[in-house]
Amino acid sequence: MKKDIALKASKINKFFHEPEDFQALKDVGFEVHKGEFLSLIGKSGSGKSTLLYILSTMDTDYKGELIINGEKLTGQTLNQLAAFRNSHIGFVFQFHYLLPEFSVLDNIMLPALKLNKKSREEIEADAYNNLKLLGLPEQALKLTSKLSGGQQQRVAIARALINSPSIIMGDEPTGNLDSKNTNIVFDIFKELSHERGQTIITVTHDEDFAKNSDRVIELSDGSVVGAH
Amino acid sequence: MLSTNYKIALVHLTSKVKQTIVAVLGVTFGISMYVFMNSFMSGVNDTQTTLAFTSLAHIHIYNDGPEDNTNLVKKVYGANTLANIRNARIIQYTEGIKNTAEILDLVKKQPEVIGVAPQVNINVFFRNGGNKVNGTLSGVDVVNENKLFNISTYMVAGNWNELQYRADGIIIGYDLAKELSVNVNDNINILTPDDISRNYKIIGVFQTNVKTVDKSKAYLNINSARQLLAKNEDYVTDLQVNINNFEKTAPVVARLAPVIPFKVESWQMANQQLEAGSELRDIIAQAVSFTILLVAGFGIYNILNMTINEKIREIAILKAMGFSSGDVTSIFLTQAMVIGVIGGIIGMLLGFVVSDIVAHIPFKIGGLNYLPMAFKFKDYSLAFTFGLVTTFVAGYLPARKASKIDPVDIIRG
Repeated sequence: MKKDIALKASKINKFFHEPEDFQALKDVGFEVHKGEFLSLIGKSGSGKSTLLYILSTMDTDYKGELIINGEKLTGQTLNQLAAFRNSHIGFVFQFHYLLPEFSVLDNIMLPALKLNKKSREEIEADAYNNLKLLGLPEQALKLTSKLSGGQQQRVAIARALINSPSIIMGDEPTGNLDSKNTNIVFDIFKELSHERGQTIITVTHDEDFAKNSDRVIELSDGSVVGAH
Repeated sequence: MLSTNYKIALVHLTSKVKQTIVAVLGVTFGISMYVFMNSFMSGVNDTQTTLAFTSLAHIHIYNDGPEDNTNLVKKVYGANTLANIRNARIIQYTEGIKNTAEILDLVKKQPEVIGVAPQVNINVFFRNGGNKVNGTLSGVDVVNENKLFNISTYMVAGNWNELQYRADGIIIGYDLAKELSVNVNDNINILTPDDISRNYKIIGVFQTNVKTVDKSKAYLNINSARQLLAKNEDYVTDLQVNINNFEKTAPVVARLAPVIPFKVESWQMANQQLEAGSELRDIIAQAVSFTILLVAGFGIYNILNMTINEKIREIAILKAMGFSSGDVTSIFLTQAMVIGVIGGIIGMLLGFVVSDIVAHIPFKIGGLNYLPMAFKFKDYSLAFTFGLVTTFVAGYLPARKASKIDPVDIIRG
């Protein structure tokens, strides 16, 4: 069965010039299918995070070509890419990066308010649905700084989902969580990819987490060394 | 979309209320001082103008005598002729203004002119027994003179209008009266350059608070003055003209000068030191208030810079979520402008209150009772505008810095 391609990276090369010239990624290329749950692993300095930030369109200083959902993103302006991220990509980071002065609900709604495709009421309903999915509906009106680490990370996932992005990217999304919360986050990702058809790409150190995902790409010294 | 940016900006402002208040206070102080300084300077300038125009008309028409005629031969024979002229004497053909009625008519026809007062001015000695003081005796058209210079409001004794009916009456300056030791109903003696001496009865005393006027000037009915000089009923030495806007004398002078065969002089030409004084005060006021606004601007700049450094991760995450550089700029610029508008409005109110308080501080010199203060809409609107411009600039620089933050750098650490 032929699957739709969600993301295609070809011949990605990345150089750092500070403190000295260094090639972080060497001719990296792969495809990710729609609804696939992909883990990027590798030792520190292998280039996996660097690769993720290029895939996320935030880092534009690279050579090669990046296509997401059939749209070529290499060469677009920063503001075009910002608009693209807003509607197509959701982010979960190692730290939650929630805005501490806003309520949980406001944090989740922000990307959708920015996208401005739905009315405020619809967005609020979506945000509540996401919170239910993540088991936090009763925390909606609290300030995010009042939540526990695991809860904050789940709120960050709810925020990543608000615009129904086709791709969700995670940079060590469970890096700061205990095993119980790690399992919760993993199950949520699994459900998103398999039941909702959202593509998931995460960088992780966690071997169990990676093992249980659909596919693992291992990087070493800037090159793809293995795919399972 | 815009409302989302506003919302973020407002949350930033309200979550650090103390910081916001400090920034608002900076602007408030700057703008209130701007308002106060300029109101005060306007007040001082207005007072100065009022004082100056108690004895000065906007345009003065007079016969300034023949030009320099020390070497008449040169005019006929050119530079190569050796001339030896000693004890040259000037024969004045015309004294005063000829054809007064015609010129009066012409001047009154100018649309800007709001009043014309003919005068017969004579340099005289005021005498009371052994006391002699030299000064100017002004024969005036009582009603028109008052229209131009409001002398009736400066009367400290007697009634200005009485001059109209008293051919033997004279109204003299307060300091002149003191120096001659005379009072109302006393007689003083006038001695003209042509050696005519006459007594007049003092029917009033005025005090303009311009010392040079108060100690050397006296008013006579214009007809009495003509009589004193043995001149005809058309005789006038000076025409004092007031126009509707005292700043705009130049076009009227330009129109009148070519058609009137006498000297037509605006008050600016005759009194450049007044102009200079008022301009200099304006410059000082502007310099001081700009400095204050600049300091307030730095305050806003600093506070926004701090905010941005504190929120650098949030800015990165907003950009990661798809907020554009323009959104980030507008978030921080909104904060600056909210600070500017609130600070500006409070600043105008505070400026008004401070001005009002200062305007009630007693100041009893030169005929003033309180410190002079002008309440002009222009000062307030200018202060507000400058305040907004300052906060815009002070906010734009950090906002632009925030918009240039690279989310990858921040999120990856």
